[in-house]
Amino acid sequence: MRTPSMKALRGLAITVVALFFSLPIVWMFAAAFKTNVQVTDPSIGLIFKPTLDNFKAVIADDRILPSMVNSLIVGVTSTALSAIIAVPAAWAVGRFRMHRAGSLVLVARIVPAISLLVPWYYLFAQAGLVGSYTVLILSHMFVSVPLILWIMIGFFEGLPIELEEAARVDGLTAFGAFRRIALPLAAPGTATAAVLAFVASWNNFMFALILSDEHTMTVPVALFSFISYAGTDWGGLMAASTVMTIPVVVVAVLAQKHLVAGLTAGATKG
Amino acid sequence: MSRGISRRSFVGLTAAAAGAVTVGACSSGKPTADTRLRVAAVNHVWTRALQKRLPEFEERIGRRVSMSLLTGDQLSSSYNVKLNASATDIDVMMVRPLQEQLLFAHNNWLADLSDRAQDAEFNWSDFQAAPKEASTTAGKVLTVPVVTERPVLYYRKDLVPTPPRTLDELQQAAARLTTKGRFGYVGRGQRSGAVTQWSSFLYSYGGDFTREGQSAIATPEAIAAYQYYGDLLGKSGPPGATNMSLEQAMPIFAQGKAAFYVDADAIYTGLIDPKVSAVGETIGYAPFPAGPAGSKPYNIPSWSLGINRFSLLQDHAWEFIRWAAGSETVTALQTAGIPGARESVWANPAANSGFPKELAQAMQVNARNGVGHDRPEVLQVGRARDIVGRPLVSAILQQDVAAVARDADKGFAEFLVRDNRHRES
Repeated sequence: MRTPSMKALRGLAITVVALFFSLPIVWMFAAAFKTNVQVTDPSIGLIFKPTLDNFKAVIADDRILPSMVNSLIVGVTSTALSAIIAVPAAWAVGRFRMHRAGSLVLVARIVPAISLLVPWYYLFAQAGLVGSYTVLILSHMFVSVPLILWIMIGFFEGLPIELEEAARVDGLTAFGAFRRIALPLAAPGTATAAVLAFVASWNNFMFALILSDEHTMTVPVALFSFISYAGTDWGGLMAASTVMTIPVVVVAVLAQKHLVAGLTAGATKG
Repeated sequence: MSRGISRRSFVGLTAAAAGAVTVGACSSGKPTADTRLRVAAVNHVWTRALQKRLPEFEERIGRRVSMSLLTGDQLSSSYNVKLNASATDIDVMMVRPLQEQLLFAHNNWLADLSDRAQDAEFNWSDFQAAPKEASTTAGKVLTVPVVTERPVLYYRKDLVPTPPRTLDELQQAAARLTTKGRFGYVGRGQRSGAVTQWSSFLYSYGGDFTREGQSAIATPEAIAAYQYYGDLLGKSGPPGATNMSLEQAMPIFAQGKAAFYVDADAIYTGLIDPKVSAVGETIGYAPFPAGPAGSKPYNIPSWSLGINRFSLLQDHAWEFIRWAAGSETVTALQTAGIPGARESVWANPAANSGFPKELAQAMQVNARNGVGHDRPEVLQVGRARDIVGRPLVSAILQQDVAAVARDADKGFAEFLVRDNRHRES
């Protein structure tokens, strides 16, 4: 039974949480339209004379826009390849109770990324791959395969096994049952996992710092061109960060319908 | 049965992958004429200015140059990962000699430039003594200084007609000028970040971080320097000063909210740029004020160039250094307002015309009085700065400095023993 006071309390809680999480984004967005003097002056809040100079600087910077193209290539390819590997793997782990194999893959998420970089760098440098898209895609897959796998295991375990059994009775092979029955039913989960994997790749800084070169540099590394030894161009940095968030927002909006279904399915499993 | 086969397939695939890597190793051999000379550099006004002149160098050696720009800490992380794996994709390395050179020398990552530096045309003896000393480790020249730094006293001419000449005068003026909405003094107060700027106060009180290899941070001189800086920043500075490094302190002065500010002379462009600063036209520059032991500011090579020992293009890497640190380039860059390390360029009035006149004078005075380091000269500089910075934070918070300094002294003494052992290993 919802009383008016409960409703008010709920509204207040939602407002506080929403404000808490949106404040840094609002600050970033506002700072993108401020001069550096205005950004560093705490007495200037949200009322100021806006400038587009920071966005002009982002467009004029010879690293930001090419690096966004690089990030898109790496993010989309690594996510797609990871999904091709991890979704069937998750189905196998879920259906055939291969949890030891699943745990083994999880080790990749447990090991600190920095400890892998020295051997990786050595191997990839020997193979002449450092600075290529291949090495960035492979390293990002190291993060996204376990991520997608573990999200999808839960999904496949939540699907009624009777559906696949019925398909087997009707003459499908095990893989056919996966492809025609389980995979379409798990589409919301796949969308959720893919968006999270794409965001993880889009924001990955450490791998790109070491393994990319100036031609394959991704956005998180390129953002640092606004931070120099004698100071930070806050306005430019925030404008570039605003531009950088646009593709992720677009992906999230496009996948929203599936995302909500996926997240709900995950939450009510069992 | 099928499991056995799949295992064999797996082993086969692994072997094939390993083979591919080995073949790759064989194929990634010697550099060709198309291989670019790779320069790993910090995102600095020096680097940006040099980039514009690169075509002239590329034409001279007939090889393209590729320059990657990172922040100082990223550059350090990148070296630590790549050089641990004996990377050959870095030829010229931009390093902070006082922060990294001892460690990099210990790891044997820097090529010995001693013989190359003897080149008569390069004229190694033309470099200032303090930066030259910082570039030499165990008798070997490992880096060549390209950007130098000293502290300078920035002040507001509209508030202070004559800049203070002594630290006592500075403290009195800062206290007098502290009003509601304006601070008498602003400076770095963050535990590790403040150590380099505090070093000039320490030397001017007659102290140093170490004496004959032993900790000297609890000597009466060091405690007096801690106390002085803590009182100056704690009583006349902004609240939350212990969280302030360059990024936080500089904007406060740039917004016109402080009367005095001591920091590196290399950042002056950020204080006079109208896009960043509201007080550009009212800024004055003065040499570092004298303490009980005189005026003893640091004068250090903030950035130097070295050659990666694993580089396959070491001759061209040296050509790059010879060009970038050569008299002609240093003169051009210093004329554009970027301070180098060559005596002859400092002695050339035309080359100093890029600086505001008062700043050029202050820089020259500071260089003459300069001490060649601004942080403890150890392998693990970051850890040392943390230890040395603790009493500084206590002083700013107006706590019992002497007790904290004695405690930090014990920690620093133990650290020095470990660091020495590491250095000798």
